[in-house]
Parts: sequence; C-alpha cells; structure tokens
Amino acid sequence: MYYNFDFTMSAVEGFQPKIVAFLCNWCSYAGADLAGISRMQYPPSIRVIRVPCSGRVDPFFILQALQAGADGVLVSGCHPGDCHYLTGNYVARRRFAVLNDLLEFCGVEPGRVNFAWVSAAEGERFAQLVREVTERVRELGPNRKLRKGVEGNGR
Amino acid sequence: MEDRVELLRTRAAALLREQVVTGILGFLPGTRGGVAQVGLVTRAEDAEGLVLDASCTQNIAKYLLKVVRAEGKVGVVARGCEARSIVVLLQERQFERARVYILGIGCEGVKKNGVLSASCVNCAYPNPVIYDELVGEAAVKESPAEIIAEDERFYALAPDERWRVLEEDVSRCIRCYACREVCPSCYCPVCFVDATMPQLVGRTHHLSDNMVFHIMRALHMAGRCVECGACERACPMGIDLMRFNRRVAKSVRERFGAIAGVAPEESPPLAVFDPADMQEFIR
Amino acid sequence: MRRAIITREELRRILEERARTGSLYAPVAGRAGYEWKRVSAVAEIADCSGEPHTRVPAKRFLFPASEEIFRFRGAEAVESETPGRTVVFGVRPCDGRALAFLMRFFVERAPADPYVARRRENTLFVGIACNEPADSCFCLGVGGGPHSTAGLDALLVPLDERRIYVTVCTERGAELFSGFPEPAPADEEERRALERRAEEKISFRVDTQKLKEILDRAFEHPVWERLAFPCVNCGACTLLCPTCHCFEVTDEKVRGATSRHRVWDSCQFLLYSQHASGHNPRAHPAARFRNRVMDKFKYTVEQVGEVSCVGCGRCIRVCPAGIDIRSTIEVIRAEVGGA
Repeated sequence: MYYNFDFTMSAVEGFQPKIVAFLCNWCSYAGADLAGISRMQYPPSIRVIRVPCSGRVDPFFILQALQAGADGVLVSGCHPGDCHYLTGNYVARRRFAVLNDLLEFCGVEPGRVNFAWVSAAEGERFAQLVREVTERVRELGPNRKLRKGVEGNGR
Repeated sequence: MEDRVELLRTRAAALLREQVVTGILGFLPGTRGGVAQVGLVTRAEDAEGLVLDASCTQNIAKYLLKVVRAEGKVGVVARGCEARSIVVLLQERQFERARVYILGIGCEGVKKNGVLSASCVNCAYPNPVIYDELVGEAAVKESPAEIIAEDERFYALAPDERWRVLEEDVSRCIRCYACREVCPSCYCPVCFVDATMPQLVGRTHHLSDNMVFHIMRALHMAGRCVECGACERACPMGIDLMRFNRRVAKSVRERFGAIAGVAPEESPPLAVFDPADMQEFIR
Repeated sequence: MRRAIITREELRRILEERARTGSLYAPVAGRAGYEWKRVSAVAEIADCSGEPHTRVPAKRFLFPASEEIFRFRGAEAVESETPGRTVVFGVRPCDGRALAFLMRFFVERAPADPYVARRRENTLFVGIACNEPADSCFCLGVGGGPHSTAGLDALLVPLDERRIYVTVCTERGAELFSGFPEPAPADEEERRALERRAEEKISFRVDTQKLKEILDRAFEHPVWERLAFPCVNCGACTLLCPTCHCFEVTDEKVRGATSRHRVWDSCQFLLYSQHASGHNPRAHPAARFRNRVMDKFKYTVEQVGEVSCVGCGRCIRVCPAGIDIRSTIEVIRAEVGGA
C-alpha cells in the first residue's frame, strides 16, 4: 500500500501534532503576524488558513480538518464587539458553542477543537495560545476520530 | 381520541364546503395498518376518510411546502410537534401565515411496530402552539424522564466509548436520506450532502463521512428541530438519530433560552445573537 | 437437482467448518430487524421468526452498499481484494431470485461486471425456505414462491425440530451437501405440504404480462401525481430492494491516494438524473416515483426479459410514507388498465 498509518506513537515526545488554525484576517491573523515579526517562538504545529471573519468558519471546515488528518483545530477571531464586520463573530460564537457541545457529547476530547479571540495587537498572547493548544493536543495524542482513510471502508 | 377524529372530519368537511380552504392536508388510512399516508383532501365528501391515530407517524408539516400556494388557503391538520414545525417554517419565511388554515389537534403519540415512539414519550408539546381552530379537547400528558435518563447514561460513558457507540450506530447508515426527507425543517433545494463545488461530505459509506453527515445534519437543526422523531421512525436501519438532535436542542435551550417552533414572532436562534452569550468554551 | 435429508446437527457441523476455513455470514438480531453478520458458531444465528428476512438483502454480498474498487496514485493503481470464500446462510427465496436477476443483469450480459462476477465465484448462497410468509410478502404473486430455488446454491426447508429437507441447486451447493440420504416420499409430502400452506398465506397476485402492457401506455397518465403525493423521495425502498442495482462511482481523496468507490444510488434522489447542464428530466417527484414502478415491471422486462420485483415486501415495510407497491399496482390496473 502507498501509505502506512503505523502510528505506534508510544513515545509521546516523538509526536508532532498537526493543528489546523482558522484565523480571521483582521484580528487573529494579524496577531499571528505580529508574533512572527516580533520573533516570538512557538511550536510549528499550526497550519494557518486565513478567513475574512470567524463568521466564515463553517463547522464543516472543522470536521473536514479532522477528516483530513488534523490532530487538533484552532479557530480564532476578533474579540466580541470588535469584529471588522461588526457582528460576524457574534453569530459565529453561537454556532461554535453548539458545535463544541455536540462534538464533546460525541466523544471528541475537550482540547481537540479550540476557539479563541485574539486581537491584532496580541502577538505574545497568540504565541502563548499556540503553545498551550499544542501541548494539550500532544497530551491527547494523535487524533483517530473522523480521520478518513486509516482503516479504509470500515465495513 | 376518537371523538376528536369525528369532530375533525366534520370540521374539515365544513371548511371545504364553505370554501374557506382549497384542500386539507391530513392523514388517510394506510394499507398495512402500520403507517398512514398523508393526502390532500379537496372534496367535502372525502373528509370522512381522514384518520388520526398512532399510525400517523409522519410530521405532516413536511408536505405543506408541496401544497401551499401564493394565493388561497390550504388547511392542515396539525398536532403538537407539527404545529411547531409550521412555526419554524413561518419564522424562516417559507410562506405567509395567511396561506394556511391550521386545524390544531392534541396528540397522544404515535407508534412504530406497536411501541410508542421514543420522541412521543419525551414530548413536552402534545398540543399545538398555533392554530386557527382547536379541534376537540387538549391532550393531557405527563412529562416522562426515561429518555432523558438514557442520554445521561450515554454521557456518563468515557469519550472514546461514546464515540465507539455512535460509530457502531452510524456504521449501519446506508445514506437513504429518509431522515432528511421526512423532516419538515430539511427543505434546502440542494442539501449539503449533494453539494459538489465544493464537495462537503464524501458520498461513500465511509464511517467518517457517515459521522460527518449525521453531525452536520444535527447542527443544521440547531434551533429548528422540534424533536418530533419522524427521522428516527423513518430510519430503516434503526439508528438513534434523535440522540444527536436532542443534544443540540439542549445546547440551544440552555445557552440561548430558545426552544424551536414555539414563538412565531421570534427569529431563528442561530440567525441572531446576544452580546452576552455564554462563551465559557472560548480560550 | 439433488435432494437430501440432513439433521440440524449435521448442518451445524457443515456451517461451522465453513466458518473456520472461510467466512460464514448469517442473520443476527440487530437494531432494525435482522442484520448480516459474520459468525463463527450456529448459536449466534437468529431464529428469524420476527421479520421475514434481513433488513438489507443478500445483494450486498455481490453488490455491496459502498465498495472500494481500486486505489491509485498517479498512474499506479491497485485493485481492492475480492473477499475470500464465503458462505451466506439464511437467504430467503425472494432474495435468491433477486440474486439470479442481478447475475443476469451484471454478469450474463456483455460487458460482464468483473467485481460482481468475482464475488459470485467466491460465495455460496444457502437459502432457507419460508414456511411463514409475513403480511407484506407476495413472492408468489410475481412469479416466485416461498420454496423457490432460483439463484441459490442450496435451499433448506426445515421439516421439524431435527430434520431439514435440502435441495441442492448447483455444483457448489453439492460441495456442502453431499453424502446424505435422499428424502423418502413421506418427506416429499411434508415439504410439499409446508409449501402449500405458505403459498395459501400469500393472496396478492399480479398478471405481470398484463401489467407491462398497461405500463406501456401509462407514462403520461395523471394517476402518477396522485400515487406519488405521499412519497417523500427518500431512497429507502430502492436501496433496500433486492434487485435494485443502480450505483454511482465516486473518486475520493484518501490521504495521498485516490480511492474509487462504487456506492448504491437511487432513482428517487433528485441528483440521480441531474444533467451537467442543470437540466433534470425527473425533476418532479412523481416522475421519480413513476420510474421505480416502471423499472420493476416494464424496463427490466425490456432489458433482461424479466420483472425485477420479487415480492419480498421490504419497500412496504420500510417506507416512511406508508406506500404499498401492491396498492400502487391495483390503482394503476384500475385507472389506467380499466380493470
């Protein structure tokens, strides 16, 4: 077979989590940018996908990230009240709340899917957020749930 | 229940004779005695054939979108959950209130294979919240706790065990979409599973895709699912679909104080927001 | 065809031996009636007294619901493995007839479907006759019967607590059931009596020849609108129909490779007949409803010379809208045929 999903990750330190991060263009992405420019160090675990607003993040994106093999997901937008589009993050907050409750109910471990508000000025905070999320996902281990293609058709 | 049905037939016939409505959406006897069929009665003399009993397992509001027109009025026999579905459709501007005449009627629950449907056991709205006239006396029902206890038992399992239980359930899904097709809240011209550019969900029965389908359908039901249970009764593979929907309805109730389909003048809960919404889950 | 009498104990030994050397599938109790499961002991098999058959028909062994055909990366493709030697035990005669239909449809016409063909080669279908048809059963009405042997490698008729009457239908069936005593005339009588009793329970009859003639002129008739009104166009009837054979082929990305799958499809779905241009010849729900009836009783007759409804009654049992194909036929006969 072409690919070998031999996840004998018994040694946790060998495991480098892959985290997909949906960052809103105006606040969180800028915050991440600031962290970079300021040469702040944080683990290279996140794969950033820039979105215009946290309200653009469809719960599908989060599920598809897990299907594609992400070990964790981070969604970050402007602080409530500061949304560049005024209300996008408010609407998103309701959606994320319901999604989060449902995923946790289904057995997706708390800490796999994370939500945050990070502003454009919060470079250090962004770096710290990534450090914490990465550590948490590292503790949880590689994600198997929803992952497509590990066992094949499963039937 | 029997007197109510007689009264319903009389009233339906009168409404048709007086031309208040062009037709009445109601239940007609099924052939095997198991499941009644939904029909549109247009002649007063045919109103005699209307039935309403435990074999009327569909949510009749599903058929409203098929028959409601831009003019005139269509009558519909609506029980508790069905009236709430009509409220959801009104909140979502699917038709004008004046286009339907609701014959509200109380409900004692429906049965599948002789057993009272789980959603009926759990039902908190046996009587319609909206109607043009109420047929017969209100249904009286105690609120049971059994289903809720089952969900609590599920929640008490470890996360991996919960996931395993759901996967096992969802692995039987053959993607017939009976759940979607019987649901009055599912009326998108192009459902997300049928979207192709981009494709959102895989079309095979891969466990991962089956899970995404059910999780996303439940999410699309947030604030819109009236917990009628038509979906789980329709499922030919016996999947516990309402388990997902109940959890989502619980979230919406606890976080936003909203219950689907009880207040026609309110906006759908996921279309609005409160600056003070709970955000304890956000880092 | 050879016949034999075996005991339940002998059957148990045969099946369990096959479970060890290959795979044995049989009906077990599930969340919705009976499910096909791989078993290793006869004790795991359901007694099948509740429902007349498994929810999912035996077609899933030749034509699985969702089957990976091959995987490729660039120009390199690797075909999926065909399942090894399998014995499917507990197939009802209606499902058996359906298997014969599917073979005619998929394999006995050129070009033969290699996936179905390979699966058939590796699978032995052992049927159990129906002594107690359900109220939804009408196999006899469409040219089948509760003791039909079509499509099966062997058919078992339980005579009593101990003895089973076996009809060996094919050479492969003979692999399982040879070296057993032939039935005595009294056994034949017993079997025939059970068959007659079962047949008496099935009252619905279709003159399929006449029905085809009626359907030949029924396409534009307004009766379809009325018949289709309760239908919600889900796919339950078609996906669980033992002879329905439509499928879609989809390529999906699976971690660095692409996987080609064949998945059950249904003419009841809107997308089924959707053209790339956006036009849909069956956009109207009644058109899709009509298609199913037409396909079962007219189109397959024109394609492979036989009606494809085997009277199993699954569509009647699972329809969430309470539609009964027998009533549908009666209405068509009355309104279009003037009968």
